[in-house]
Amino acid sequence: MTAPRTIHFTLNGAAVAATVMPHQSLVELLRERFDLFGARESCGQGLCGCCTVLVDGRAVSSCLYLAAFVDGAGVTTVEHLAADGDLDPVQEAFIETGAFQCGFCTPGFVLMTKQLLDEIPDPSDDDIRHYLSGNLCRCGAYPEIVAAVKLAARRQRGA
Amino acid sequence: MTPFELEEPVLLGAALALLDPEDSSVRAIAGGTALMLMMKSGLYRPRRLVSLRKLAPALDGVRSAPDGGIEIGAMVRLSDLRRSAVVRAAAPVIAETLLTHSNVRVRNVATIGGNLAQGDPHMDLPPVLIALGASVRLAGPGGERIVRVEDLLTGYLETVIANNELITAVIVPPQTGWRTAYAKVTARSADDWPALGLAVSVRVEAGIARDARIAIGAATETAMRLPGTEALLAGRAIDDALLQEAGRAAAAEAPVVADHHGSASYKRVLVAVHLGRALRQTIAGAER
Amino acid sequence: MSDATRVSSGQIGRSLPRVEARAKVTGAAEYIHNLRLPGMLYGKICRSTVPHGRILRIDASAAAAIPGVHRIVTAEDIRTVIAEPYYGPAFHDQPILAEGKVRHVGEPVAVVLATDPHIAEEAAQAIVVEYAPLPAVFDEIEAMNSAAIVHDILKPAGTFPDLKHLAGRSGTNVALDFHLRRGDTERAFAAAEHIFEHSFRTQQVMHTPLEPHVSLADAADGGVTIHSATQTPSFVRIEIARLLGWPENRVRVKTAFLGGGFGAKVYVKLEALAVALSLLARRPVKLALTMEEQFFTISKHASTFRIKSAVDGHGHITARQCQVFYNGGAYADIGPRVAQKSGFTATGPYDIPNVAIDSYEIYTNRPPAGALRGFGVPQLVWAYESHTDLIARALGRDPVEFRRRNLLRDGAPQATGTVMRDAAISAVLDRLAARLAWDQPFDRGAGTLKRGRGLAIGFKASISPTTSVATVAIAADGSCILYCGTVDMGQGSTTAMAQIAAEALGIEAEAVRVVAPDTDVTPYDMGTLGSRSLFHMGNAVRLAAQDARDKLAALAAETGVPPGANLPISEQFRRKYGMQAGTIVGAGSYIPAYAPPDSATGLTPNATPFWMVGGAGAEVEIDTETGRVRVLRLVNVADAGTPINPGIVETQLTGAAIMQLGFTLFEEMQFTDGQLRNPSLAEYKIPGIRDMPDRIEAETVDSAQQSGPYGAKGVGETGTFAVSPAIANAIEDAVGVRISELPITAEAVYRALRRAAGDQLEDL
Ligand SMILES: Cc1cc2nc3c(=O)[nH]c(=O)nc-3n(C[C@H](O)[C@H](O)[C@H](O)COP(=O)(O)OP(=O)(O)OC[C@H]3O[C@@H](n4cnc5c(N)ncnc54)[C@H](O)[C@@H]3O)c2cc1C
Ligand code: FES
Ligand code: FES
Repeated sequence: MTAPRTIHFTLNGAAVAATVMPHQSLVELLRERFDLFGARESCGQGLCGCCTVLVDGRAVSSCLYLAAFVDGAGVTTVEHLAADGDLDPVQEAFIETGAFQCGFCTPGFVLMTKQLLDEIPDPSDDDIRHYLSGNLCRCGAYPEIVAAVKLAARRQRGA
Repeated sequence: MTPFELEEPVLLGAALALLDPEDSSVRAIAGGTALMLMMKSGLYRPRRLVSLRKLAPALDGVRSAPDGGIEIGAMVRLSDLRRSAVVRAAAPVIAETLLTHSNVRVRNVATIGGNLAQGDPHMDLPPVLIALGASVRLAGPGGERIVRVEDLLTGYLETVIANNELITAVIVPPQTGWRTAYAKVTARSADDWPALGLAVSVRVEAGIARDARIAIGAATETAMRLPGTEALLAGRAIDDALLQEAGRAAAAEAPVVADHHGSASYKRVLVAVHLGRALRQTIAGAER
Repeated sequence: MSDATRVSSGQIGRSLPRVEARAKVTGAAEYIHNLRLPGMLYGKICRSTVPHGRILRIDASAAAAIPGVHRIVTAEDIRTVIAEPYYGPAFHDQPILAEGKVRHVGEPVAVVLATDPHIAEEAAQAIVVEYAPLPAVFDEIEAMNSAAIVHDILKPAGTFPDLKHLAGRSGTNVALDFHLRRGDTERAFAAAEHIFEHSFRTQQVMHTPLEPHVSLADAADGGVTIHSATQTPSFVRIEIARLLGWPENRVRVKTAFLGGGFGAKVYVKLEALAVALSLLARRPVKLALTMEEQFFTISKHASTFRIKSAVDGHGHITARQCQVFYNGGAYADIGPRVAQKSGFTATGPYDIPNVAIDSYEIYTNRPPAGALRGFGVPQLVWAYESHTDLIARALGRDPVEFRRRNLLRDGAPQATGTVMRDAAISAVLDRLAARLAWDQPFDRGAGTLKRGRGLAIGFKASISPTTSVATVAIAADGSCILYCGTVDMGQGSTTAMAQIAAEALGIEAEAVRVVAPDTDVTPYDMGTLGSRSLFHMGNAVRLAAQDARDKLAALAAETGVPPGANLPISEQFRRKYGMQAGTIVGAGSYIPAYAPPDSATGLTPNATPFWMVGGAGAEVEIDTETGRVRVLRLVNVADAGTPINPGIVETQLTGAAIMQLGFTLFEEMQFTDGQLRNPSLAEYKIPGIRDMPDRIEAETVDSAQQSGPYGAKGVGETGTFAVSPAIANAIEDAVGVRISELPITAEAVYRALRRAAGDQLEDL
């Protein structure tokens, strides 16, 4: 039905419900209904990563994801990382290395880096480049971003 | 995006029944990555979308077939395909191709079924699957049929899939003796859709190319085989002269078109150069 | 307390992380993109589908019938709230909505207002507009003498006195022509040992800030508040006040962090339309563009540059003639300023006694072009540094030695006649050559992979004269708030300004809070553009902080604090007011000296308050079978004066270089008959992480800008200047072919290789 429907999902660890239209995207839902602005739409085409969130632990472009499809799923946004007031080591590494300028792309890069380090705790330069190739930074902070990923990896490995 | 109905059936039969043989504004939605792009740009305005999400358990998973081939469920996501040990063992070229395919987030969502059903000539997997000799299993109201990937794609965003048919699986035959390489050539930034996708499969015995399957994508209106070039290679001893000859033959044979990525004559140059390089790569692999 | 006697608190040269860093990594940073207002309507723009045409009919009946549509607005409606609805910083040539005719594809023609953005979008697609096509012109050279005229009559704004003479000109597409003559070029060419002449072109590209343009207007109670992602809040206020015929104090412009700007968000973009819509609807209205729409809003000039040099027997350039044609698109925006100001330096950082410069801003039927990170200078450096390299090669001279021989040095007059000061041109070239180990042998590759290296150096005159004003408030507990209108779009200005204020006050930068630009609160600033802020606003901030400090000293004296006593500021306030009360306000205003160019000769004794100098070196590898260029190493050396925050300066330099790398190798707005074929990031590619050179380096040379705040000068654009010619020069070094047109695609290089081999690639 084109009619609105009610969905239930876990958002940043809390059970929530929301009324959505079938044609509503996940990024719209997060902003309009939940006031979560860390994911933001830029290219709108899955290319820049500004709208990155995790659905059941996997990074997705929320600009290309129907809100209705998170029914029953777990959604994590960048806001969850420092929910207890302490920054995640990835966030700290981004600050220390100066891995952003305008910051518009940063939540996306931070979340992708989290996933990368979950999958590959000690990534090579090549791993980093391939994993982050779907995120764009128009300010060109790439050299610092690579440094941030490496710093966070070292810290997390306790090296 | 404009409003539409969204159905989420749990059984294949129900999904098929919700599709409309006459109405292309009713479509299946798998990962939705390709559909969302078309809907957001206003290129496609669905009346109803039939989500395959809840069918996933039946259409998921990568299995080895008894004959040594593999069967990939249509709802297998590209990231799972890339990580699959079964795929890496039976057809490593698929995993290698996926490394530079779209990006992590798209691969986490996009399915192999959606990838093939989209019929987009610029995609990376169709030429690879063609070179591997793969087929798809199609389910319709009247039952099942099996179609080779090279016969599936008929033109720009066109396939032989009927409005009320669904891909349920992709079948890759055993690759014993075959070596496959894929060249993704981008003409603009490194992270881009291919300007040219060239997949090369050869069966080499004692320096002789016994058999070859060569498939081209992105530079042509649809992904397709290059039978003339395949025939030229068959039974010949592989040396630099043959590679150059094959490159020239492929450049002449492929119905290359111009687009944002470059002119047709330049893309022919790319075909010639990269065919030679891909062949060399397969032979190097065969000798290992 | 004079500045010389006080103790530094060590804020200058501190690589402090950005003060807003935490907000940016947690996603909490404020952008106008995130803003919603109660009762707000969304506007969606219906855009022209033809490059040049008369509007015959706008049929919005189907759109208006869609449930949820609040209203459809066309130019006629705009006129009911704004009598003369034309705007622009240099010319009042741009209609808020197209009136009578359209001049480029994508020009706003009508707007749908709705409570739901999806409905607004659907309705905008349902508006039917009929056009009678007019002859159109797209190329800047053709437009010089075309029968297709984009604007019937030129309408310069009053803002710039030196554009007045253009008023009323008709029958031309030339919006501005700037001419400079020094010495006797004719004689020099007649006497020359060698003459070299080349032509270079650049393509139209787009800024693509990741936060697309967004403005909200809220007209209520006889005033209007505009929330806008703008780099120029003060200018927006003045321009909107002019359009409405209101005093400035009824217009309030607020901004937040910008998700990138790069010159896309200067002057008025969506603000005038948003204000008109809010006045019509009597509700707040939000206009938020998609990435696609940005391509129709503003871009960087395509250009053609014809350059000719005379060289004597000793390898000295004795004369240079420059003709620069900027393709301004359908509306002038700041283009006339780009043409004029970049004209000052079109001959390059060389000491050339005889120069002739002609620089033109030209209307065409393409989307408008404005300022993009360099104000025309990267287009110039592309040409003059390619040309300089060609000359060195033709004369068999080493490119570094040839440049050194001709370099402009401090104390010598530059093309405009202005004597160079505090421009570390030689130091930049020296450091560049040293970093590249220019005098050492170089690995030239093997087989089908050939390597080469190249360098280039460019400079820019800061735009002038412009004003910045700042205030500093010291609260009764001694804490400090800085009010300045500089917009932080990623360049780190908030942090740098806090450092400057803190240094002047003798406190830690962390103790200064910087207020986001809000024209009701922050004083006038000309704009965050042209790398002017650190210098101009930095000086104003320093003056304001010093003023506050002097007032604190007076307070100490008044309350009987003995000199040298370390009494906390809060205690001094308490002594004076008997409780925690009071505020000290320091104010600072800065405008540098400037002399406008002579209208006949283009000469001026004072063209700019400071010079920016940027050099780049590239090492490349070419696949000779495909033409593919890999940049292995990219080095940037700059004169940034004394960096306030070296860490941020370095990211500015590499970031700018990476952006220019995209402009060099693949970014291009592609048109067919005026229709833009690639308005999306899927087809208009910008550099990603895998496009990074294997090594990318940045360095600032030892230097100080005497007139700058603590020796600093602007740097936001410097990293873009020399990247493109450095790469083209490296390509010639590797494979012996010269590319004279951007972008340098693999296909372009491959075609050049075939041409050089006498075997041109045929198009079948
Ligand atoms: C940012 C981005 C970058 C990309 N880059 C690349 C790239 O580099 N190379 C490349 O090859 N591709 C690329 N793609 C395309 C990507 O591969 C496709 O979008 C994706 O594979 C489609 O799968 P999906 O499951 O999301 O399909 P959907 O969008 O759900 O569906 C696509 C089409 O297939 C139909 N369909 C879906 N499943 C079935 C089924 N089981 N049976 C019948 N019909 C079905 C749908 O009705 C629809 O018509 C890119 C996409 C994006 C968004
Ligand atoms: S906005 Fe979703 S990926 Fe760019
Ligand atoms: S920091 Fe501005 S886009 Fe990445």
